[in-house]
Amino acid sequence: MSFLKFIIKNPFRRKNSAILSIVGICIGIIVIVALGGITQGLVSTFEDTIHAGGADFSISGTETGDSAYGTNTISANWTDTIANVSGVDEAYAIYVVLVPIGDDYMNTLIGIDPNGTDLADISLTDGRMFRDNSSEVILGEVYANDNNISVGDNILIKNEEFEVVGIYETGDQNMAGGVFTSISKVGELMDDSDSISNIYVKVKKGVDPQSVADRIDELYGDNITTITSVMEMEQMGTMLNTLEAASWGISLLAIVVGGLGIINTMLMSVFERTREIGVLKAVGWSNKKILTMIVGESLVITIVSAIIGSIIGVVATYALVPMMGLTPVFTAKIFIQAFLIAIIVGIVGGIYPALKAVKLPPTEALRYE
Amino acid sequence: MSNIVEINGLYKSYENGNIKALNGIDLTIKEGEFVSIIGPSGSGKSTLLNMLGALDLPDKGSIKVAGYDLLSNKKLNEFRSQKIGFVFQLHNLIPNLSVVENIEIPMFTSKMSNSEMRSRALELLDIVDLKDKASLKPSKLSGGERQRVAIARSLANNPSIILADEPTGSLDSKTSTKILKQLIDLHKHEHVTLIVVTHDMDVAKLADRTIEVLDGKLVNAGDDSLLEDKINVE
Repeated sequence: MSFLKFIIKNPFRRKNSAILSIVGICIGIIVIVALGGITQGLVSTFEDTIHAGGADFSISGTETGDSAYGTNTISANWTDTIANVSGVDEAYAIYVVLVPIGDDYMNTLIGIDPNGTDLADISLTDGRMFRDNSSEVILGEVYANDNNISVGDNILIKNEEFEVVGIYETGDQNMAGGVFTSISKVGELMDDSDSISNIYVKVKKGVDPQSVADRIDELYGDNITTITSVMEMEQMGTMLNTLEAASWGISLLAIVVGGLGIINTMLMSVFERTREIGVLKAVGWSNKKILTMIVGESLVITIVSAIIGSIIGVVATYALVPMMGLTPVFTAKIFIQAFLIAIIVGIVGGIYPALKAVKLPPTEALRYE
Repeated sequence: MSNIVEINGLYKSYENGNIKALNGIDLTIKEGEFVSIIGPSGSGKSTLLNMLGALDLPDKGSIKVAGYDLLSNKKLNEFRSQKIGFVFQLHNLIPNLSVVENIEIPMFTSKMSNSEMRSRALELLDIVDLKDKASLKPSKLSGGERQRVAIARSLANNPSIILADEPTGSLDSKTSTKILKQLIDLHKHEHVTLIVVTHDMDVAKLADRTIEVLDGKLVNAGDDSLLEDKINVE
């Protein structure tokens, strides 16, 4: 039998007490994991919807000009102006219009340069990308499924026939129900080639997007703005900070409650095994070895709790959270945090009983009734 | 034979000096000797045994056991692990471990591999005729069998001395005889020095020498010359 096996076996001598400790710590871990999954899920959703696809930020007009269907527009010339701002790597315009598509009286048609689709964060699941200035479209998965349209079919957009050449997926729910074609084709359809809705901007590698956005606001703030996305990012940041603070608050609570529980369990264990600790000293175990044993036993309980708590946390979150319209996302960081907390609780909870055990004089321990 | 125990002027008191457990003990024990220590309750015999096993330290005097000066040596756990085997009145086996695992416990302090530990533990169980019960929990054994496991455990690290504190105190007379026979056989075959604390004169008589302790003093060293020396000194 190895020393490790001995340590693993010991905590389960007092099954009820061990189970109670595990349940207590498990609850803390479940909350930490579930909250972590929800927070990450929110981050992911926010990033998909706010972060202008694969772009670092987007630009829109401060005032306009309404287009025919109520979508705000700015002059198409802004695209080149923004592309020339220091720190900007790519700038692509999109033109979003509401037009009759197929059987829908109104739906979203988005025009973009075929080379700029990466910035819109859409990826093809079927077919190919549309060509520039052609009567070709790609459909969002949601739209294609809802209308039972596949690649090769034709659809009518504003009374003009378009060929469906691809299906795309995206995290943005608005885009998933829409249709993409080239921006020049949208301009032609709307008879307005000088207007665009937004500009997707990607900054150069290593450049802080916020500083570029600030520069654009400084230079052209009278006409265009990045404020919308910046504000939303700030709001997201504040919300995520709140969630993160809540997560750490609960973690701290778990450490305190779990720590007290484990101290109680291990103290009981040390008292009950006083004579046994005396025997271990008599057969030559060093204080270090006895300390390692008690702290190790405490760690066994907390690590088992972390494993069970993580599994229950993931299963429960996947079972309950989608009902709130959110997809939880679990990253390694969440589990590292949960296990780190379990280890801290194990060490903190085990060290005091271990020191008690170490300080027991062997003769007294052996006389203990 | 050289001395394995050399004690001079050993004093130990408890409760701020109110209880004098040892009151100037001088004692030598030769290597391979079987010595019994007798005396009434509270006479200091168990305290003396604890001193020999470095479970407690004296207030005054000198104590050398198996080459270790216990007052100056800081690695007393190493001394206990390598030189001493304890047998207690109660077996003190760990209930959730099997018999063989209980015997392996002292070997955790050695550099033996798991397989070497297992093989040594089974060898010791064979010596105490309990090899067939290796995988049982202590609760499945009789009182005598448990004490035999405790004896096997005391031998785990090939000690120079076995210190037994009332090893048959909780057993019936028939089982006591069997346990004592086993201890004496081990003492002879393994050439281990055996020191037994007992209040049972039948047990004490089996020893090569019987030491009598009274009020923390050695009133009979079991060796006439030593005793005469002591009387002359006093």
